[in-house]
Amino acid sequence: MESPLHHFEVHTIIPIHIGGLDLSINNAVVAMWVGLAIVAGSFMLAVSRGVSPIPGKLQSILEVSLEFIRSMVYEFIGEDEGKKYVPFIASLFLFILACNLIGLIPGSYTITSQLAVTGAFAVGIFILTLVIGFGKHGMHFLGILVPPGIPKVLIPLMVPIEIISMVARPISLAVRLFANMTAGHTVLAVLFGLAMTGPLWLGWLPFGFTIVINGLEIAIAFIQAYIFTTLTCVYIGDVIKLH
Amino acid sequence: MTNNNSFRQGMQIAFRLGTELTVATFIGAMLGYGVDLFFGIRPWGLAVGVIFGGAAGSLNVYRAAMLMTMEDQNTEEDDNNS
Repeated sequence: MESPLHHFEVHTIIPIHIGGLDLSINNAVVAMWVGLAIVAGSFMLAVSRGVSPIPGKLQSILEVSLEFIRSMVYEFIGEDEGKKYVPFIASLFLFILACNLIGLIPGSYTITSQLAVTGAFAVGIFILTLVIGFGKHGMHFLGILVPPGIPKVLIPLMVPIEIISMVARPISLAVRLFANMTAGHTVLAVLFGLAMTGPLWLGWLPFGFTIVINGLEIAIAFIQAYIFTTLTCVYIGDVIKLH
Repeated sequence: MTNNNSFRQGMQIAFRLGTELTVATFIGAMLGYGVDLFFGIRPWGLAVGVIFGGAAGSLNVYRAAMLMTMEDQNTEEDDNNS
């Protein structure tokens, strides 16, 4: 019987080594390309068909999702400031969603179940918030470490707490997405393993659960992509507004 | 992708608050441990770091919860207005 963690393993498909760097193309990279191709391809297809005032099926889906993301960005960042972040947030949301959903196809690979991938997203977002904060407020940005309206005596106590809570943000962002995807897929693999090893009169039960949990995983794919982007918006909004 | 799906909102709250507290405590502990190694004052850095981390985690959870109640109030007002 295969290990339930078997489908998280990375296999090299085309080995590429440049200098000391391992730039091999593996199944994770291919899954990421597929996700990218689906997102970019669907938008290109919709535009190349011609954007009509009466949208077709594909155009409606894309328009609704963009409207949804835009309203989310406006809600958390604000309409004037948020405008320039809509493309970034939209690509983030759609890419994570595509990767989550691709992972649900049996035999494919879940990119978002790798801490390296979610960690890279989160660290990128963290650096982005720092750049936005320092770019917008200069040295006043450090004021984010002191919550408004606290007595001066508490400042030495609050600054380390605020620093920890600042640093914890990207990590909780990364860990949340990674842990949810890994846990869900492990549960699926374990249940499916039970279904395969058990006799037929018992095996249908875990198999039924596999189907139910697959439905739940589709919901989680949407929820996690949504949470990830919402929190990105919240963090960007925080550094723009400074409290 | 409806805006007011109670299942989705419940899941969102559960996932957010759960990780927020754990991760902040962990980060506090790690920073404390790092301070220990750097200054050689074991075990004080770790002890203080865990407490600060827990405080930071509670603060994060509190902030997230406040944000959620604000959202709830907004949606309720929207419902009343419409």
